[in-house]
Amino acid sequence: MGISIAGQSHAGAVRGCNQDVVAWFSGADGNSALALVADGMGGYQGGEVASRIAADTLTESLAARLTGPYQDIPAQLKAGFALANTRIAELRDAEPQLEKMGTTLVVVWLEGQQAHIAHVGDSRCYLVRNDKINCLTRDDTVVRKMLDDGSITEADVPNVPFRNMLTRAVGAMDPVELTYSCQTLEYGDRLLLCSDGLTNSVAEEDWHGILQDRRNDAVVEALIGAALENRASDNVSVVLMTLDM
Amino acid sequence: MASLSLLVDNVVVNTFELNRAETRIGRRAGNDIRIDEISVSGQHAIVEAVPNAYLEGTTDYYITDNNSTNGTYVNGIRIGGRQRLNSSDMVRIGWNEFRFIDEEENTLEKTAYILD
Repeated sequence: MGISIAGQSHAGAVRGCNQDVVAWFSGADGNSALALVADGMGGYQGGEVASRIAADTLTESLAARLTGPYQDIPAQLKAGFALANTRIAELRDAEPQLEKMGTTLVVVWLEGQQAHIAHVGDSRCYLVRNDKINCLTRDDTVVRKMLDDGSITEADVPNVPFRNMLTRAVGAMDPVELTYSCQTLEYGDRLLLCSDGLTNSVAEEDWHGILQDRRNDAVVEALIGAALENRASDNVSVVLMTLDM
Repeated sequence: MASLSLLVDNVVVNTFELNRAETRIGRRAGNDIRIDEISVSGQHAIVEAVPNAYLEGTTDYYITDNNSTNGTYVNGIRIGGRQRLNSSDMVRIGWNEFRFIDEEENTLEKTAYILD
């Protein structure tokens, strides 16, 4: 029993800077863990600043609570997102060159078998159970909304001009609206958090072979390696956590 | 503003502005774009201009075939249902070739962007 986690963030094959941040922490009791991916965006250094603030804020406000007494986890997650949102917005207002910054944020708080998942933007959380890979989050993008309302089909997605546009981002809206869900895990299940740099460069069907390996660090390494082989034009980040048998 | 340009041998011979909520294309009188040519059905197709619900100030254009005899094609593929048009798409109405141009589309940021 226990939780094992590995993660990595890479600038990708083209970009010189990395605006993604990954972070994870295990509770001292071995029964709880926190993991996150943030993908920053917006102008001169803004993306790096926004994703760093989001990761630091969530870490600071939640990591210490991992092993505490009873927690209202959804409320804690919401408070963490709200604080990150306020901090980014304040800096946006204070620094003109950062006025367009914001970040995606996907966070998993695992407590026993309960995975509490919160996200804003298009960084995703997948459940890997046996050979099945299931996306647990719905992207906050214009494209996802137009697919959902039937305006466009999957075949249109590569051609639409606004395929990178988010409908929600941390630091860019007041108040921040997040999506929360709770998933009960089985022993052996894995949760994979990633930025769109992975999903845009390595097709989900190519993940299966890589995920056969039960070593988290080897899988993370292989997924990022596959993205680089495909000349990933964006930053690529992956965090993989396993609820051990 | 978006438009449909009628091409003959790859040369633009006429341009129709898509400045209405619905632009009707067909052979009969009363169509907004009337093409008096045998391969075109009476009421052949319709182009709708719809404000994008998620991107303020952006308009999407959708084409639907009206059960025409010879079909409506986008980039060489016959359309079944309603289909969104992208700038530079080739639209064929019967045997008539059009190029769809949406100038607004070219000004949209191509990189990641946050909506306030």
